Amino acid sequence: MSSVRTVHRLRRRHLIAAAATAALGAVGAFRGLRGADEEEQPEAPGGPSFDETYRGRRIQGEPVIRGGEHGQGSWRVTVDGQPLGLMRRADGGYLSMVDHYQSYASPLAAARGAVDELGTHQALNGRLH
Amino acid sequence: MVYTRKNQSSLSRGERRRFVDAVLRLKRSGEYDEFVRTHIDLYVSDGEHRLRVAHMTPSFLPWHRRFLLDFERALRRVDADVTVPYWDWTKDRTPAASLWGEDLMGGTGRRGDRRVTTGPFARRNGWVIKEGITDGDFLTRDLGRPGDPLKLPTRQDVAWATAETVYDVSPWDSTSRRGFRNRLEGWTSATGDERWRNHNRVHRWVGGHMLGGASVNDPVFWLHHAFVDLLWSRWQRLRPDSAPYLPAKPPSAGDPQYRRIVARGEPMPPWRSTPQDMLGHEGVYRYAE
Repeated sequence: MSSVRTVHRLRRRHLIAAAATAALGAVGAFRGLRGADEEEQPEAPGGPSFDETYRGRRIQGEPVIRGGEHGQGSWRVTVDGQPLGLMRRADGGYLSMVDHYQSYASPLAAARGAVDELGTHQALNGRLH
Repeated sequence: MVYTRKNQSSLSRGERRRFVDAVLRLKRSGEYDEFVRTHIDLYVSDGEHRLRVAHMTPSFLPWHRRFLLDFERALRRVDADVTVPYWDWTKDRTPAASLWGEDLMGGTGRRGDRRVTTGPFARRNGWVIKEGITDGDFLTRDLGRPGDPLKLPTRQDVAWATAETVYDVSPWDSTSRRGFRNRLEGWTSATGDERWRNHNRVHRWVGGHMLGGASVNDPVFWLHHAFVDLLWSRWQRLRPDSAPYLPAKPPSAGDPQYRRIVARGEPMPPWRSTPQDMLGHEGVYRYAE
């Protein structure tokens, strides 16, 4: 993660300085490989914070700076305001209290997956773990 | 006296009733919900930097063997003739199987809230969820996930696991590419329908409570894990020259798994039992295969 941040900082500095043509050419090539996401701010592990309505449920998530009991990369995720417990996976993904048997690529994907599993009539009760 | 765990499909009507009655009595006494809590509390995922004993770890099999033994001991205090039956999901593969009959597990959940409405574990028949993660106090299932159908693991899936000659390999978690334990537990790096194998796939197939942290609320949990336990026994018989459990020694201080997994002679919380203690069950129970 830190090396990605370094690249972001370096690239911005290059752009601001309107540096030599060679340097801009290199940046252009790099952008071509990495795609449009490159323009965005460096993110916490797990992607950007989110707040959206998915299948009629409001799902919100933000990284928690202090690790808490579940270690680094913790997130606070809620479904209709009720906390959804997440845990990190060794493959870099996340699993939720609702679905313990697959890795979701991001907290957002885990929250959507939890909504899928909860069906239309169930709400979380706030139990984290 | 060595007792026998039978295939659920071979139980007599009376045996089915006595098993269900014993489970219901543990539920009424509050003991059942202690098992639900233990399983929730000890679930530690492998991206967390702390000891994990129950899942995504070499001790997945001995930990659940001990868990089943405790449950069975509680059942047998209620009725000394009861044992935990096993569900061979390579054979009894549909929601129409007698396993899901009204006198054993009851059927799938209804649409919408996935509430189980038939059998002894339906809310209206008195099975109330106390240690859940939703606001509903009823058991939920989604057998076969009809909205996006999925099949139970096959004999070939089991063979893919038992073909492994080594019990487990580094990094000793859900990303271990080889080893019987991870292949039976069923973690893969595949996507789509192929991502779940064996044990994990069954949890996915049953759905509802079985998919989440509070899976023990569904009594089919025990029948499923009895079959996983049987498969471990079968693998040991098949591989007499393989170490029955690995690692033999704890990872050293520089290892990423240092203090995160249990070696053969180390205790598995919440008990003092070690994997070594769980390697043979011949003196306690046998499987009728």
